[in-house]
Amino acid sequence: MSDTIVVTDLSKWFGLKVAVSELTIGFRPGVTGLLGPNGAGKTTLLRVIAGLQRPSQGQVRILGVDPRQDTEIYRKISLVPEDESIYERLTGRQFVELAARLAKIDHPVDRAQAVLVTVGLADAADRALGGFSNGMRQRAKVAAALVSDPEVLLLDEPLNGADPVQRAQLITLFKELGAAGRTVLVSSHVLAEVERVSDRVVAMVDGRLAAVGDVATIRAAMTDKPRRIYVDTNDPRRLAAALITSTGVLGVQLDGATVHIETSDAGDLARRLPAIAVEHSIGVTRVEPVDESLESVFRYLVEGR
Amino acid sequence: MALAVHLYRRIMRRGRVIGLLALSSVPGIVFWLAGFDGEEGEQIGLYTNIIAGVGYAFAIAALILTTATLRDERDSGTLPYIYMRPIPRLNMAAQSVLSGMAAALVIGVGGWLTAVVASLAVGADISLALPSLAVYLAAGVGYAAIFVPLGYLVPRSLLVGLGYIIVVETILANVVPGLAQFSIWRISLSIYAGMEDGFGVEAENMLGPVTAGVGGGVAKLAGVVVVGLAVLTWALKKRDAL
Repeated sequence: MSDTIVVTDLSKWFGLKVAVSELTIGFRPGVTGLLGPNGAGKTTLLRVIAGLQRPSQGQVRILGVDPRQDTEIYRKISLVPEDESIYERLTGRQFVELAARLAKIDHPVDRAQAVLVTVGLADAADRALGGFSNGMRQRAKVAAALVSDPEVLLLDEPLNGADPVQRAQLITLFKELGAAGRTVLVSSHVLAEVERVSDRVVAMVDGRLAAVGDVATIRAAMTDKPRRIYVDTNDPRRLAAALITSTGVLGVQLDGATVHIETSDAGDLARRLPAIAVEHSIGVTRVEPVDESLESVFRYLVEGR
Repeated sequence: MALAVHLYRRIMRRGRVIGLLALSSVPGIVFWLAGFDGEEGEQIGLYTNIIAGVGYAFAIAALILTTATLRDERDSGTLPYIYMRPIPRLNMAAQSVLSGMAAALVIGVGGWLTAVVASLAVGADISLALPSLAVYLAAGVGYAAIFVPLGYLVPRSLLVGLGYIIVVETILANVVPGLAQFSIWRISLSIYAGMEDGFGVEAENMLGPVTAGVGGGVAKLAGVVVVGLAVLTWALKKRDAL
């Protein structure tokens, strides 16, 4: 299956700030998760792919076309922007019909109604967007993006603000679009979210590509990372002595009543720690992983390349 | 034309329209207040002086309205909804400028109607006010052609536009003859002057080196519109939309 989006040696900078750095990657039909912490360059990458921003260096081709050179490509691609911004005074229906008219769709009224039903907004379609919840706004934006039946759908944090039911509906919709042969690119800073929506993940950190592969590969890469865990206990010395000989524990440090543990397998340690505490009659009052944030995991991925 | 209609509706918010109609009505209101004391026969001079002098109120109203055409979309983050559409950039630029012109003309006609009503109220000859519609129409077209691209390109477009109206059109154009040729307001006045024989002496002074005449004024305006469209088309193609 050939790539529908081809990004070659792409860099984008704003003054001295480099948002995307020498990125080369292809996206094929199906759902791809674009994963990265805030500020990783995901939004900039999507905007450049969408033609909203010009590359400082390198090039983007969507279905073989430079989106900044040929506006006809916008019959085939749509973007759901991350911003909350939307036309507050328009109703959901007017917003989607406007998108249909600007996209030069035949029968814009019928088409708008069809996509409003698809995203589950038909009942609220005649209310002003200004009164919509964040989740409803997201669905209205998705409806406006779908109205032209695009081959390529770029979704920037599309699940922000959606409640669990709405998330499940949107995820199902994105998967169906991917299964139907559309190229769906979903950005998120939440690994679990990306894991639910896509099989293939592209991880970005600091504007660079950190990892590409299926979710299992990314997870494995993250599991290999040494983690630090803080444990508050009534007997730190005995707990440290018990842990130092345990499998997977790389180092132990005492800090008052807290034991700082560095481990290669945090999951395994979490399972064994209660047993160790019981075996040595040690009281444990707090267990806190300190570098579980996505950003730290991504930094590890970048440094580990 | 869906884009032009959308942009027009967006910029013509009720509160904004009411405020700007009031602003563009200032010349008519001033004429109404001053006209009661005016001697018969002086009113032509009075009217043209007021239009030429106080008429800048309309320029500012047009500035506020037309810079908002695409600036509102950029500032509120809604530009992707119109930018990512299969509309050639020249067409997009033309529809944007057209919507700005239409909005400016509505405000201009409102201001002009105030002047007409004021003429009737003070018992002045209605034929005084009728040709001055040309000033508002020409200025609306000209200002839209330069301020719509300015609004797209410059974040503080209102300040820059105000600088153009106050510094360039009002001050510099009086001392640098070449600049007067590029003053939208003077070009508009030159069209009015070409239509109205009794154009006031003071207003003629405002024209400076700009020759009165309908044909010349319209040709200059056409040039301004072409340049405005070219700049906006270039900006839509070459500059970041966000």
